[in-house]
Amino acid sequence: MAEFSWASRSPLEDVLVVGAYGARDVEPGISLTEVRNFDLIQMMARRGKWAEMASTAKDRFGVAAPDVPKAVSASDVTLIWSGPDQFLVLSKGGKHAMDILSQAFSQSASLSDQSHARALISVSGTKARAMLAKLSSLDLHPASFPIGAAAATSIDHTSVNLWRGNDRPDGQAVFNLLVFATFAESLWHTMLDAAAEYGVDIRLSEELG
Amino acid sequence: MRIVCPFCGERELGEFTYLGDAKPLRPAAGGSEDEVFDYVYLRDNIAGETSEHWYHGGGCRAWLKIARNTLTHEISSVEPAAGVGQAAK
Repeated sequence: MAEFSWASRSPLEDVLVVGAYGARDVEPGISLTEVRNFDLIQMMARRGKWAEMASTAKDRFGVAAPDVPKAVSASDVTLIWSGPDQFLVLSKGGKHAMDILSQAFSQSASLSDQSHARALISVSGTKARAMLAKLSSLDLHPASFPIGAAAATSIDHTSVNLWRGNDRPDGQAVFNLLVFATFAESLWHTMLDAAAEYGVDIRLSEELG
Repeated sequence: MRIVCPFCGERELGEFTYLGDAKPLRPAAGGSEDEVFDYVYLRDNIAGETSEHWYHGGGCRAWLKIARNTLTHEISSVEPAAGVGQAAK
């Protein structure tokens, strides 16, 4: 029998080049950061079990599970609404990984480990909203998309989970984006094209923002 | 055209897929051939208010039941279509 060694690698590994991209001799208007090595669990309440699932989530994570398009954060986890009676659990370090959560929620929810099935891209900078406006039909103005707002939407015909994280220390808004691994490279190129005119600072991170 | 998803809010048409008439109900098990034929094939071509199923596949992936006027495209109601496809009682 053949021996397999399954090494996880980022879907952007072949295309992401850390450093400057696009317009030169300007202060980069866009910061694009791929966050690697996270735990991501899709949680879906079984029929009629949302209340039970939400109660377990409150005990487990210390914050109320989002039942409207919002992302709520605790110290070590972010819960991102992804549809009616469902949300994503984003964390690091295995504390909220599949084997642990599947036991805690065995009565109320169906879980699916998406840790290596999504790429996580963080967009910020003075031109972040101008760049995203080329790609998304959502109104991302702070008045209608404040910190903690989330959306399941499509960018360039690709399904994404988009949410606004906490602002950067310099006050710039941060938009986080989860995309299916197999579509990540395509979306990455689309985003680079949209961002190039503003100048891009491409980074890698192991830290959730 | 924009559709106000009851879960996501107002979204562009490109996020949605049209399924079709929401009126036909699956005949109960053991229904007659005529009933099944009617359910599978026969559709009204309505000029005016219709009831339709749409899928928000580019968003929250919920099935929706939408009342739409085929003459004006005006949408008068959007609601979750939970439980659709159940056999007629």
